[in-house]
Amino acid sequence: MSLTDQSAFDIAHKIQRGELAAVDVLDAALERIAAVDGRPGALDYGPLTQEDQTKVHAFITLTADRARQKAERVDARISSGEDAGALAGVPITIKDLFCLKGVPTTAASRILSNFVAPYTATAIERLEDAGAVVLGKVNMDEFAYGSSNESSAFKPTTRNPWDLTRVPGGSSGGSAAAVASGQGCLSVGTDTGGSIRQPAAYCGVVGLKPTYGRISRYGVIAFASSLDCPGPLARNVRDAALMLSVMAGADTRDSTAVRLPVPDYLAGIDRGVKGMRIGLSKDYLQISYPDPDTGETIMEDLPAEIRNMTLRAAETLAAEGAEIVENVPMPNSIYGIPAYFVISRVEASSNLHRFDGVKYGYRARASGGDLAELYRLTRAEGFGLEPKLRVLMGMYMSGGQLSLQYFQRALQARSMIRADFETAFDPDGPYRLDVLLTPTAPTPAFKMGDFYGDSTLMQYSDQLTVSANHAGVPALSIPGGLSAEGLPMGLQLIGPDFAEATLFRAGYAFEQATADADWRAVKPCVLAEVE
Amino acid sequence: MMNPLAVPDQHRNKDGLMADFEAVIGLETHIQLNTVTKIFCSCKADSWQDPPNTNICPVCAGLPGVLPVLNEAAVYKGALLAAAMHAEIRLVSYFDRKNYFYPDLPKGYQISQFDLALGDGGYLDVTMPGGFVRRVNITKLHLEEDAGKTKYEGGQRLVDFNRCGVPLVEMVTEPDLRSADEAAQYLIRLRQLLRWLGVSEADMEKGHLRCDANVSIRTAGSTYLNTKTEIKNVNSIEAVRAAINMEIERQVSLVQAGGQVESWTLDWDETRQRLNKMRSKETEADYRYFREPDLLPLELTSEWRDAVIQNLPELPLERQLRFMTRYQLPEYDADILTADRPIADYYEAALTAYGTDPKILSNWIMNEVLRMQNELGLSADALTLTPEYLAEVIRLVDAGTINAATGKALLVKVQQSGQPPQAIVAAEGLSQVSDDSALQSVIDAVLAAHPQEVESYRGGKEGLFGWFMGQVMRQTRGQADPAKTRALLQKALQGKR
Repeated sequence: MSLTDQSAFDIAHKIQRGELAAVDVLDAALERIAAVDGRPGALDYGPLTQEDQTKVHAFITLTADRARQKAERVDARISSGEDAGALAGVPITIKDLFCLKGVPTTAASRILSNFVAPYTATAIERLEDAGAVVLGKVNMDEFAYGSSNESSAFKPTTRNPWDLTRVPGGSSGGSAAAVASGQGCLSVGTDTGGSIRQPAAYCGVVGLKPTYGRISRYGVIAFASSLDCPGPLARNVRDAALMLSVMAGADTRDSTAVRLPVPDYLAGIDRGVKGMRIGLSKDYLQISYPDPDTGETIMEDLPAEIRNMTLRAAETLAAEGAEIVENVPMPNSIYGIPAYFVISRVEASSNLHRFDGVKYGYRARASGGDLAELYRLTRAEGFGLEPKLRVLMGMYMSGGQLSLQYFQRALQARSMIRADFETAFDPDGPYRLDVLLTPTAPTPAFKMGDFYGDSTLMQYSDQLTVSANHAGVPALSIPGGLSAEGLPMGLQLIGPDFAEATLFRAGYAFEQATADADWRAVKPCVLAEVE
Repeated sequence: MMNPLAVPDQHRNKDGLMADFEAVIGLETHIQLNTVTKIFCSCKADSWQDPPNTNICPVCAGLPGVLPVLNEAAVYKGALLAAAMHAEIRLVSYFDRKNYFYPDLPKGYQISQFDLALGDGGYLDVTMPGGFVRRVNITKLHLEEDAGKTKYEGGQRLVDFNRCGVPLVEMVTEPDLRSADEAAQYLIRLRQLLRWLGVSEADMEKGHLRCDANVSIRTAGSTYLNTKTEIKNVNSIEAVRAAINMEIERQVSLVQAGGQVESWTLDWDETRQRLNKMRSKETEADYRYFREPDLLPLELTSEWRDAVIQNLPELPLERQLRFMTRYQLPEYDADILTADRPIADYYEAALTAYGTDPKILSNWIMNEVLRMQNELGLSADALTLTPEYLAEVIRLVDAGTINAATGKALLVKVQQSGQPPQAIVAAEGLSQVSDDSALQSVIDAVLAAHPQEVESYRGGKEGLFGWFMGQVMRQTRGQADPAKTRALLQKALQGKR
């Protein structure tokens, strides 16, 4: 097994004890990248070659030299007896939505293709301060608008390491694919409607959307500011907990970052689920979506293998001592996607205003110095399909009287969704849940090209994840098994505000209880060739 | 070049343009708060004379990924102003995004407050030149960030972000003002109040206080509102007065000629002293306001609010009235002595030291101290001539130790040297010559030196008396007690020694 396939926890400990050199871990990671990733995403990508279709393409920007300097500094600290940090020498990747000083930060968009960030995001700063070694910036949906990575302006877009004809999910698809294929141990993503959890599920890794405000958003290019949550992607629950411990906490540069002390998420992670009340909800075992032709809402049960995975997981946890509470009503979940459609687009259209060609990023050549033409051309040429759709929808739904019909109603729906969770988690209420157990996504990873271009249907792959964003509560996605086609399926654990430690404890218990399961031994296909 | 908005002469009504109409005016003001740092980042707020784009950071320049963090000092100053305007300070208010594209607005939206702003309602009572008090109601009082500046140079549009994020209070009045003079008076009083509270430098020339005027006319005495025009870019009190007068005149002659006022935005051209049409404003711009998700609701405790109200100083009008009732000062004096806080404090400190007649003190300050202040360009609290020294000088005059002219000169010497008045009087021998024998010998010498003039006087040319007074005064370097000199001189000239 390559060094890069070890857990972040083990690597950091070995480096801290001087049993392992950070540069050796870095070399292993770079070797893996060279073996599986193929060419990085680029604007001028030319035709897709045969070889391209056999690679993951997680990266947009590889920062190997910078990484080597950081790794050498970690080793120097260790040899001089200094504390090198909780993530000493752990190779990580960063979704290209986070600013990293001196490194291109593109949001996978042409409009920022030439933007080099002059400052570093708080979450990244904390990871680097803890000794993490940043390998580079990974691909994503343009401005995080999507669930498949296909909307990136940087191509080839990321492929699923388990099946290279399938999407890795999105928008943090590059992050999930990198972690799954051993291109670093950890990755930082963002989750606005499921953008960490859905790709984590599709790529068979662990992904956490923390409570809103748990991790600072400073330095994260905004998608929908009231929903955006940075969070960790890792190959196991403990690594995700370790990563959250480093990233979480108040930030003087983000007033929405909560001023609550950060617990040690590793302490007590192995205390098990005995006595924990874990809920199941029928509202999370079905999906509703609009008929593409008639627009009517279709209600459908989830595929049997997704339902069965969820119920089996409940049995496993029950066997570990958890109390399963069935039939927890979450009736307002059906409004999750429509409300998200409105709120996220209204905020996104406003957040995109600043990309106007005046200050930074792509600028079109406008003739005759006409300002309106400069704006029009810059945005027409700089934005891809998804940003344009979102600007149009967002501006439409927040304009004048329509704001009442759409935006204000969506905010009401959001409050109702929040109320569902409050009832479910109320310690004096009828359900008194510690955790709600659901599938993460309605299906395993779909084929590239299946939905791309239909942003409504694409959105519905986030149906089971989006409510946690509306409500602001934390939700963890962990691998729950493999489908008949051998594709990963994700389990989601949702808890009340700031109950990340509970989620980690439940997730870890499930991981331990299924450690010897057959599906755990199966690895992504891209790794078969490197071993 | 022809002024497109000038009133054609044939439409001027020589018998009084405004006879049948009244003007209806509302003012929209933007007030720069004088905080040390900007409203959402730690850049310094004041960029006066700084080179363009030197006082910016990722936050105020709107880089990708940045977030605003609210400056508490801006909230405090905004709340203090709200309290002084008798507005309700909301315990929970919100920031909203006002979305529009402009190159000097780096985020493409301005963080402002929309429906639930810091201040709710309020008014300012303004004593108008005619003597009556006009209550000007406030419809809007909110915090927001300033935008940058755009200028055109050599065919290029240049953008300076230094001003981005400077804290502003936007304050909008009801259409309660009825003439250009009233509008000017409102601004004069608002400027006084802002400086009084210490929340803004309120210098219109530097853009600390900016004003747009909404102007319409209607039949005198009616209560409906007609279509208004908005005048922008008026950045002095005189410009406000001139621009509004010009616009009222234009609207009246337009209506008298059978025309209709259209909802235009007008730009005041300061150099040419005229209004230019900027654009027709058929529909309200849609700013797609929504709550700023990057800031939490602004929650204040009632204790904090009470403390703000408690810290509110006695306001200019209140103090003026107190000076009139308590010190029996005329309104004119009381108004001048409450022009700003330092002068009002100076007056009251001097009065404490002086101990007696408030009106005598008022005369000294209005004549001497204010002149000195103007000449030196200093506010009252910066004078070396302290209120206590002033009182001492006046007491010396009252006691006859020095005469009034010496007293006035002494004030200047105290200001220049910083020495106590008594010390200067002693050192320079400024005490009045009131010793009879000393004065008598000067008079004798003068008479002895001018026998011809003495003869003429005695022969009936009594007009020479003043000349003799002058001679004596010159000899005593002005320190002779005038009354005593007159008596002794008369005796001597009449030969009644």
